[in-house]
Amino acid sequence: MSANRWLATGNYFTSYREEQRIFFTSLDKTAMLLFILALFAWPLFFHVGNKYMLVVDNILVAVIAVMGLNLVTGFAGLISIGHAAFVGIGAYTIASFASVLGANHILLTHAWPLMIFIAGCMGALFGALVGLPALRLKHLYLAIATLSFQMIFQWVINFMNFFNQGQTISIDRVVWFTGQVSRREHYLFWYYAILVVIVITGFAVRNLLRTRYGRCLVAVRDNDRAADAMGMHPGLTKVYAFGLAGFLAGVAGALHAFLYRGVGIESFTLHHSINYLAMAIVGGLGTLNGSFWGPFVIQVLDLQVERLSEWAGAHLTFAANLATALKPLSFGLVIVLFLMFEPRGIANWWRITRSYVKLWPFRY
Amino acid sequence: MSYFFQLVVSGIVVGSIYALSGLGFVLIYKSSRVLNIAHGQIIAIGAFITYALTVWVGLPIYVSFPMSMIITFFLAMSVERVFLRRLIGEPIISVIMVTIGLMSILDGLIYLTPFGTENFSFPPFLPTTPIAIGGVSISWTQMLGVTVTFSLIAGFSWFFKKSTIGISMRAVSDDQLASMSIGISVPRVFGLAWAMAGLSAAAAGGIIGNITGLNFDTLQAFGIVVFPVVILGGLDSILGAVVAGIIMGLIQQFASGYLDGNWGLNGTGEVLPYIILLVILLFKPHGLFGIHEIERV
Repeated sequence: MSANRWLATGNYFTSYREEQRIFFTSLDKTAMLLFILALFAWPLFFHVGNKYMLVVDNILVAVIAVMGLNLVTGFAGLISIGHAAFVGIGAYTIASFASVLGANHILLTHAWPLMIFIAGCMGALFGALVGLPALRLKHLYLAIATLSFQMIFQWVINFMNFFNQGQTISIDRVVWFTGQVSRREHYLFWYYAILVVIVITGFAVRNLLRTRYGRCLVAVRDNDRAADAMGMHPGLTKVYAFGLAGFLAGVAGALHAFLYRGVGIESFTLHHSINYLAMAIVGGLGTLNGSFWGPFVIQVLDLQVERLSEWAGAHLTFAANLATALKPLSFGLVIVLFLMFEPRGIANWWRITRSYVKLWPFRY
Repeated sequence: MSYFFQLVVSGIVVGSIYALSGLGFVLIYKSSRVLNIAHGQIIAIGAFITYALTVWVGLPIYVSFPMSMIITFFLAMSVERVFLRRLIGEPIISVIMVTIGLMSILDGLIYLTPFGTENFSFPPFLPTTPIAIGGVSISWTQMLGVTVTFSLIAGFSWFFKKSTIGISMRAVSDDQLASMSIGISVPRVFGLAWAMAGLSAAAAGGIIGNITGLNFDTLQAFGIVVFPVVILGGLDSILGAVVAGIIMGLIQQFASGYLDGNWGLNGTGEVLPYIILLVILLFKPHGLFGIHEIERV
């Protein structure tokens, strides 16, 4: 252990325990705390319109979902092309409660943290069910299994009257200690609620990855036969990875439902599954901070492309389809370029910058 | 009873198209172990090129159809060269994601053309009165479509069984290292596999376009339905893709013919393939004709 707890210049670990710490230096810890504090504090100083607050909220919801996807795809190495369906399971859990009990039932308006938890559990249940083929199958087959789950989910929602055939099922605004959250403060309120969830899940995932259960995932990803020989059960580990991912997705879905005050199938289609995968890849698979970069970058890109295509649609009237074309085009290009030139994602840039700053003025 | 036979006939028509689409998909998987998620887009592009050549350029369909197949052949080959050649040896997830990105890019490119949002239909070039045999009717277009599909499939099987290039493709799918050592250029075979897949996809697209009209969403959906087909047949079996394509077409038609409207069910034809897929994955993951190579770890 280096004597300097603030600016460590190298690794002086003498035990595995030290190596497994979340914060290596006190500087890291302080920076993290300040960052979280800043996240909570900034809406007090800058007033953001509801339109942009919704964008911020959307990014945060996506962060939770992508964290789940990162667990299953990044850490456990199982491709899931049906993540939006798990998010949808969470959202439709809330919606089912709303349509059975009524949109303004006390469970939904007052006990919403419990509802979010229940939605997460439903997501976990379905995640584990879909992960069951993982007991026998590997990568490609699993990708197809999740894809088919996505299609079945869409069909069930679209054709069942209970789910309003994919039309919006509305949910009332929730009640906080200060009374029902007003229309003006709705998005701000949910910003804080989602932020709290993110902080909790972020630390939970970080901690999970330090324990044997988390390292089990990585071991199975890297070499499942070796993991088997070491006494782990690769099949169960995979099912459990799917369950965990389903839990986080379900939580994200519930938050999405409350945020939009309604649930409709159009937010949980195959297209969204691909979007989540793209976020995970652009952020950096198998890194925790990647789950924060990816959603941010993709959503901001979406916004900019929308603005650009609005501008282009106004000026170039001959290209009527340009607006619809630009979005998938830019999205696909981002995925392909990242995979070709930076497969480790933005998290890698972050790592490089960090180590540069840390070692400055030395090169290495 | 004639309702039953009507369903059988339409099932075979749909199924033969599935077979042709599944064939291209399996070709790519067999040679390079790439799951091509953008297959539906390639089918759509093939259909659109056929339409553009027929209606906008004014070529007769029996010229434009093979021509679009050839154009898509080179298009798919260049797709492989640009996007996938660099990723040989990368982890599977990168390769799958690249095909997903490719799907998005092709989507965007298609939306730039009028085909993305509008519907078109081919001018009829065959008699429009359907052939009716004992209460079962089949239109001339469907008849021709099925004939063309089966002759193409026969052609492909001949190609793989007898021709040198086909044999080298089979060799690569069997053992890449061994085929490299006897002088087969493996990357070129990958490119060729994509090109052949593009060829069959364009044919499938042209036939679908003639039977149902051109709608981007419908055409693109074939790229997803192809998954249950190839899983049922076995991911690496061409014969399996053909047989499973027909089976899947029949299942879909029977489901929508007998299940829809009863017991409050609707659109079962759309979902049944995926349910079958999950069941197969659980109990018989190598499908009907696939090679048993799944490890249980």
